[in-house]
Amino acid sequence: MKKIILILCSLLLIVNVGFSQAKKPTIMVLPSDVWCNTNGYMMEFDNQGTKVKIPDYKKAFQENADLLNVISKINGLMADRGFPLKNAESALKSLEAESAENAMLTSKGGASVAESPIDKLKKTAKADIIMQMTWTVNTTGPKKSITFNLQGLDAYTDKQVATAVGTGAPSFSAELPVLLEEAVLAHLDGFNSSLQKHFEDMFANGREIIIRIKKFDSWDGDLEKDFGGKELGDVIEGWMTANTVKGRFSTTDATENMMLFEQVRIPLYDASGKATDARGFCKELQKFLQAPPYSITNKLMMKGLGQATIVLGDK
Amino acid sequence: MKKTTKLLMVAVAVLFATVYSTSAFAQAGKKADKDTKLWRYEVQCVGVGNEGTKLIKVFSYSKKADVAIEQAKKNAVHAMIFQGFNGNSGSGCPTQKPLTDNPALEQEKADFFDAFFADGGKYMKFVSVSGDGQVAAEDRMKVGKEYKVGVVVSVLYDLLRKDLEAAGIVKGLSSGF
Repeated sequence: MKKIILILCSLLLIVNVGFSQAKKPTIMVLPSDVWCNTNGYMMEFDNQGTKVKIPDYKKAFQENADLLNVISKINGLMADRGFPLKNAESALKSLEAESAENAMLTSKGGASVAESPIDKLKKTAKADIIMQMTWTVNTTGPKKSITFNLQGLDAYTDKQVATAVGTGAPSFSAELPVLLEEAVLAHLDGFNSSLQKHFEDMFANGREIIIRIKKFDSWDGDLEKDFGGKELGDVIEGWMTANTVKGRFSTTDATENMMLFEQVRIPLYDASGKATDARGFCKELQKFLQAPPYSITNKLMMKGLGQATIVLGDK
Repeated sequence: MKKTTKLLMVAVAVLFATVYSTSAFAQAGKKADKDTKLWRYEVQCVGVGNEGTKLIKVFSYSKKADVAIEQAKKNAVHAMIFQGFNGNSGSGCPTQKPLTDNPALEQEKADFFDAFFADGGKYMKFVSVSGDGQVAAEDRMKVGKEYKVGVVVSVLYDLLRKDLEAAGIVKGLSSGF
């Protein structure tokens, strides 16, 4: 009887691992800074004497019906491709609601919700891939046409992973919403083709992520600390070579206080066959550094699927 | 008796003529099929179609203009899967990539595509001739001994893609996740 249960359990495990799927990136459509600036949806503030402009998405969503139509069309078409998108307007509303709830939430003993400054800073509407959209209306005499630009930007590597851009046929009579709908229909297939290429590359060569190593100033060691004739920085690079897909990564910056690894290709699944991401990958590095002979206490922080930071010397 | 023999001869002649013309039509059809396999057709985008469709003009070659018109449907679906088409700024069409970027797919999945592109095959579900198949005078050209005929067709692109994804011929955007 025990044997049968054991066999059944192993079969279940095999089936589970076999059907394990890679972590699906989230995608969100946002208007570009250029579009927001052209249409007057910017906020301006004084940053220590320098005037800084940032897009006011909330205002844009509340006031521009064309923007809503375009986002709604793109969301619908992407959902049809099995890729429902995160709706930016809803994400902004959820953030506001959550902030209000956190401010009001207290325990029976009077304790409030713990929130560090970094937690507050991280509270932004985010997605793994941003579909950044720009359109301009071209007018030649009575004729109107739309130049439409859709860019797929990886939120972590800052790379443009998909694109579709072009100008529609000029029209004498068509209204702007009709021209915009036509632009979306014309360009979304091309955008999805390039996005699919990006996903195929990811399945073939691993997910591309960014890893940062930093140190707390309270720690007496640094990345030049010697371990058996090797500096800590070299030890970390050695670990990266051994654990990345085909040893692919670039050390973009390295000092005694920090290291920046870009174009790090990590496997989509860990050794047990479970889907993994930047955090899962860096957890292994964290354990490696915590174990002897290094015995370095460290803190792991993550941002979405593709960015992780390890801060050495404390929790 | 003479009258009966004459009648018999006429009947045999009609039969021969019918068989000959049918076989000539079939031969022309086979030749057109071969041309499709050799990608001997040209595709132009005519305009942005309705949601889920692509509106294209396909130029096909055949000794018989009727065969070329019928073959245009097959060529249109073939083009969507294997060739794509170039953009056309005048009609607002962006360049369309094919559904597969594997040029050997047709050979690798020969069993599937032979049945798919057979006369009356499944490809018919995904294409319709626009404007009752009327061909503009400038789109019917005699090139050497054959005709080059341009027909505007509407391809149900989204349905075609979904069907090929379901059959495991091409990968979907979300496959693997």
